[in-house]
Amino acid sequence: MLARVANNLYWMGRYIERAEHTARFLKVNYFSSLDAPNKLSQSRQFVLQSIYQMVGETMFINDTLEEETVLFNVGLNSEKTYSILNSVKNARENANSSRDLISTEFYESINKFYHHVMNYPSDVLVKSGLYDFTSTITEHTAILRGKIRGTLLHDEIYALIMLGINIERATQIIRIIKTKFDDAHKAIGGYANPVKNSYEWTTLLKCAESYDMMRRLYKKSPTQLSTLEFLILNPSCPRSVMNSLNQIYTNICTIDNAKIFDKDSPAFLIGKMRAEYEFKTIEEIQINVQNFIEKTSQLLFSIGFKLENEYFYV
Amino acid sequence: MIKNTANPIFSSYEKKDALYDEIFDENDEVRDVYKKLFELYSGLSSNDFGTLNEKAKATFFNQGITFQVYSDAKAQEKIFPFDLFPRIIDATEWETIEKGVLQRSKALNLFLHDVYHDKKIIKEGIVPLDLISSSSNYLQSMMGIDPPGGIYNHISGTDLIKHSDGHYYVLEDNIRCPSGVSYVMCNRNALKKALFGVFNHYDIHTVTDYAENLLEILESVKPNGVDIPTVVVITPGIYNSAYYEHSYLAKTIGIELVEGRDLFVENDFVYMKTISGPKRVDVIYRRIDDTFLDPLEFRSDSAIGVPGLFAAYKKGNVTIVNAPGTGVADDKAIYTYMPDIIKYYLDEEPILKNVHTYHCSREDDLKYVLENIDKLVIKPVDEAGGYGISIGNKLTKEEIKQVQEVIKKEPRKYIAQPIMSLSVHATFIEDENSFEQRHVDLRTFTLLGNQKDFVLKGGLTRVALKKGNLIVNSSQGGGSKDTWILKNK
Repeated sequence: MLARVANNLYWMGRYIERAEHTARFLKVNYFSSLDAPNKLSQSRQFVLQSIYQMVGETMFINDTLEEETVLFNVGLNSEKTYSILNSVKNARENANSSRDLISTEFYESINKFYHHVMNYPSDVLVKSGLYDFTSTITEHTAILRGKIRGTLLHDEIYALIMLGINIERATQIIRIIKTKFDDAHKAIGGYANPVKNSYEWTTLLKCAESYDMMRRLYKKSPTQLSTLEFLILNPSCPRSVMNSLNQIYTNICTIDNAKIFDKDSPAFLIGKMRAEYEFKTIEEIQINVQNFIEKTSQLLFSIGFKLENEYFYV
Repeated sequence: MIKNTANPIFSSYEKKDALYDEIFDENDEVRDVYKKLFELYSGLSSNDFGTLNEKAKATFFNQGITFQVYSDAKAQEKIFPFDLFPRIIDATEWETIEKGVLQRSKALNLFLHDVYHDKKIIKEGIVPLDLISSSSNYLQSMMGIDPPGGIYNHISGTDLIKHSDGHYYVLEDNIRCPSGVSYVMCNRNALKKALFGVFNHYDIHTVTDYAENLLEILESVKPNGVDIPTVVVITPGIYNSAYYEHSYLAKTIGIELVEGRDLFVENDFVYMKTISGPKRVDVIYRRIDDTFLDPLEFRSDSAIGVPGLFAAYKKGNVTIVNAPGTGVADDKAIYTYMPDIIKYYLDEEPILKNVHTYHCSREDDLKYVLENIDKLVIKPVDEAGGYGISIGNKLTKEEIKQVQEVIKKEPRKYIAQPIMSLSVHATFIEDENSFEQRHVDLRTFTLLGNQKDFVLKGGLTRVALKKGNLIVNSSQGGGSKDTWILKNK
């Protein structure tokens, strides 16, 4: 396959996943804050800052934020690289340049998605449509994943898209964890152990659509320990970092079918990271959570970097 | 107004007698091939048709079968207008067309070989030298090159019209990068979805076999010494107006769609950059104009071409489809010599008629043209896409004077033809919510390969959507219809 097109497929996967995570984070944070158990978690400024932190908007850290501006910027502002609109636009542009390789059914879905977002009225979004907007984003991305799984040959094309999706998923989950970890430290509320039992852990799980799964497994209110264990280490949770790493590894093996990987190859780095996380315990992570989060996102970044150098630029 | 129809969607159909109507004959009776369809449609109201029309449009839009229009700084996507009333051609009529377009393609191929080798046809005085030497599409660097299989115009698009006398005439031959074939498939698909019931009543040739035939043709012209060739389609990129077609072709044929930047040339071999390293490319179906193919050989500012490609071609290490330099033969001035060209190379009478043409480069013709502009269509010889055409009877006195001046300046650049009356076909007009007569033409697609040829049994019927308009090109606001070729009973 052409290196340029491989790059397009990989980034299409990443942008689809990015749009979804941004939409979920926006939705869950906004709506869960409305009846949060303590003053700070309820505070508009707190939520808006948290949203900005998640998307990486650093310009306004100490400003008083306007709700409508934040919602517009993150949702539909074509001038903000982090906006959902731009993610969808980029996903579709990448689909366009690999259109001959993807199925008609999948292209039709991504095209519909694009037109839906492009035509979404911004005044509706900022005034009354936030729930509707973010819900349809997650629905559309679910359809896209279904079409990727069901209408494409599971060959290297599929592997490249899934590689993009899973690297992005792990990266976004880590970003969300980081943001909520910071929030939990700020929002010290009415619990006995303020950080460890914070309401923010519930929000975090909901942002990752993992709250119901987690309750089924642990049957207790989420704590910092159980939440991180679940979202980082549990391979059965489809949103966990571990699960993503497993998938990343499977997919890279489809693309690079060497029996023994060169130690500078992305496949080697992925395999190494996966092996390390497979046998990590939550107690080890607990020693310095912040450090661990930083390290994980750095590792994911270096995998992305290696992939681009190895496969996409000849 | 046509009489005796109980059909509500045709109750307001205005039939002009001077025009050849594809559906109604001179007695306002429905022609045989359309009878069944007409009957089936008579159950529908114009609102039903409006709804079907909207649905078909949505299908095109959602599938991204669109082109970009740039207005007020925001790029908008538009679909190519599509009409739900198909054009039907019966088996006997089609047989003539098929033979005729194949004959022309073969003659043009021999002509190209001659022009780039011994130039016998010029030496024998059948085609004037200056027609070739003054053509901007003539490529000196193609002299003496023998493309694999001896094929230059692997893919030809022939534009035909039906005149008021009921005969088909060839309007032009397109043998550079004729486009539109993807719309033939898309139109068929859209019509099948919208009006699936009507297909049971007609025995129609499929159009889906184009892709496999195209691949066979492309593989048949592989360079010497190659066993299983790697074939690619090259596109200028996603912003090109025909990008949909390029990606559609690559997808249906099952080959890579590449851009210039994906290819490179080393030791006169062409490679593409893949995730597992360079891979040799043997046949390139190019959708890029000659002058942009190779910045080292042609336009040095071309960013969409491949440096060194032409050198590799000259060495016979890669096949370019269609061959560079074919443009010299689809020039509108060469068109006028087509009957002679066919006779010269094939020793056959032309099967399809040519429209009589006046060459402004000839003194007598020039005189006639300047005096009779109001009765003629004036065309520049080397423009495509319907640009630069003046239709005499639509011009004001002032405009006629301007056209006369322009022609006098560069007579070689212009030809003139009598105003042909393109046949009309019932077309659903959205704004009127009813059917009206609109002018149509037909583009056919012919493939030539090594010991193999193929004519797509179908074609692109293009419709001039503006009332009275004769120019059907999509860049000038044209739409299209599905075209059915009936099987022999």
